[in-house]
Amino acid sequence: MVRESDQLRSEIVAMLPRLRRFARALAGQPADADDIVQIAVERALMRLDQFQAGTRLDAWLLTIVRNAWIDETRTRKRRAQVFADAELGERVGAGGEAEAQAKLEAKEVRKAMQSLPEEQREAVALVCVEGLAYREAAAVLGVPIGTLTSRLARGREALQRMLGATP
Amino acid sequence: MTIDDAKLMAYADGELAPEERGEVERAVAADPQLRAQLEAHQRMRAQLSDAYADMLEAPVPEQLLAAARGAAPRSGEIVDLSARRAAWPQWSVREWGAMAASLVGGLIIGFGAMNTQPSLIAVTADGMSARGALARALDVQLASDDAGAVRIGLTFRARDGAYCRTFELTDRGTAGIACRDGGGWDVAMTAEQPAQGEIRMASASALFATVDGMIEGEPLDDDAEAQARDAGWPAEER
Repeated sequence: MVRESDQLRSEIVAMLPRLRRFARALAGQPADADDIVQIAVERALMRLDQFQAGTRLDAWLLTIVRNAWIDETRTRKRRAQVFADAELGERVGAGGEAEAQAKLEAKEVRKAMQSLPEEQREAVALVCVEGLAYREAAAVLGVPIGTLTSRLARGREALQRMLGATP
Repeated sequence: MTIDDAKLMAYADGELAPEERGEVERAVAADPQLRAQLEAHQRMRAQLSDAYADMLEAPVPEQLLAAARGAAPRSGEIVDLSARRAAWPQWSVREWGAMAASLVGGLIIGFGAMNTQPSLIAVTADGMSARGALARALDVQLASDDAGAVRIGLTFRARDGAYCRTFELTDRGTAGIACRDGGGWDVAMTAEQPAQGEIRMASASALFATVDGMIEGEPLDDDAEAQARDAGWPAEER
């Protein structure tokens, strides 16, 4: 039993970069993302006994991260809007022109993501950023697959409009 | 059979069963408008994963590590990158521009199109397998070598630990991905230039979208590629 929880702990540590990525996609602000991951990890450790062996640890952790984000937005009231332009302050790092261009593009994409309604953003983040299957993403969000795919479709449509990616 | 946008999206997300994939591929091959729609979905996926990729490489703040361990941090401790990499799917298309430039465009993924390559790709009970000049090129040829009948593109480690390589059959307009299995090469997919031959670079992204779903970490650089070849393409235990 003790060994199992040690194993889980080290898997959670290994999963931290991915949890940060997902939190970043949800929250936009890097500092907020880390706050959320911290809260989520603490919760996960308190509830290690609730994790069902044989199920996907990443989906379980992503669910906890997502719930932590919902709680945060509730208490802090729509942070996403307050910080929608926070990334404008980010520096585009030194490096080649191509690299700068890639960074700019990444920033545009993140900005567009932040302007999506929450429901669409989390669907897009789970499937297109985290690479979860529809079934898994729907389980994380606690919605039927049809709901997930319609949010995903609307989110993508909006992103393509904003990013001018329509051919 | 009409293909709606939801189906194209599901295709781009790898959610369709093989027979449905075939349907989409046939429809897309026949309809430039559909193809453009599918490519837009694939580009969007690549853009999204790229936009957040740096989070996977960024060092994790000490405070978070400590929280995850449920203990006070030991100073100077870092997370082993290779251990981390094993734990999540990595998506990045940034390195692949050079590869795209070396590929003939206008590619349509065609899982069922093997019958045009009887001598180089054989259909076996376990799937498709490289033969003849293709198998030899996959064994020994490097991306930097002059292409004969076969041009080698990217070499990468798949998530199951096997080495995989993208290839192009130069005189046939066929490209694909092959993965090391035992002493041979399984062909995971092929992509073909449509009959009309409309060349479009963006279509190569269809191939890369598939690589995206398979790759672990980044593609091998020239040195690592040569080393892997000299070692006989050993699989990594998973």
